[in-house]
Amino acid sequence: MAEVEGKKLLIVMTTGPEDPEKTYAPFYTAALSAAMEVDTSMYFLMHAPKLLKTGFAEQVKLKKGGTLMQFIRMALEGGVRFYACEESLRSLCDIDPADVIDGVKVVGSSTLVDLSLDSDTVLSF
Amino acid sequence: MALINGCELPDDLFYFLEGNQMSWVRFEGEEAVIGLTDPAQTRAGKIVVIRVKSEGASRPRGKPLATIESGKWAGAVLAPLTGVVVKPNEELASHPELINTDPYGKGWIVRVKMSNPEEKASLLSGQRAMERYRELIGRDGIKCLRCQQ
Repeated sequence: MAEVEGKKLLIVMTTGPEDPEKTYAPFYTAALSAAMEVDTSMYFLMHAPKLLKTGFAEQVKLKKGGTLMQFIRMALEGGVRFYACEESLRSLCDIDPADVIDGVKVVGSSTLVDLSLDSDTVLSF
Repeated sequence: MALINGCELPDDLFYFLEGNQMSWVRFEGEEAVIGLTDPAQTRAGKIVVIRVKSEGASRPRGKPLATIESGKWAGAVLAPLTGVVVKPNEELASHPELINTDPYGKGWIVRVKMSNPEEKASLLSGQRAMERYRELIGRDGIKCLRCQQ
């Protein structure tokens, strides 16, 4: 196993429910990254915060079986940190910041800049 | 051998059951052989990739010994005991499905030299282990099937 412990990975997620089959792989990758002891964060903006609305991901049935929520839970339980853009939540997604699942921190765009500059690698989905 | 909802659980092993972990431990002198249990391999689904820490890697209890990828699950196999990797199961690199087909035999994952044998007391065995497994298997609705090639 390559020595990756302690490195930082940021996954930026812009894809939302408009393309549900593209949504689970980032959570899978994030869970795996955390299992490899990489300090892993996900930042959700544009339409992606819709995936984090309470009760939504349970309704997203995947072609491969199961629901999107299983993958979200896997990432959260693995220790991945979730950040959602407050402006995207309110203006694009019409979601009250209080109505997102537990474990999500609602933040501003400056946090995206901080996380990006602090990471070893940024992946965008 | 206990059989719970089709899941085989040998009576002579020790079990690490913390968080989402369901691994087994067999002690051989100062060393511990570690693998995934039948309900764990069932829950993970067909395993397609496993990466195990290399020989000589020092692992505290609760830190990853390996990462596992299946179509529906990605995560870590955490160290049930503090120790140093003596030997990873190299056959799993080309045949990760052995964890599914023979979890207590050819599908063993790693052999570790224990640094702190007192930690054995934190593992479950015998009736206590079976009772805990009965709870978890019922809670998660696990029905064991050994997938074939």
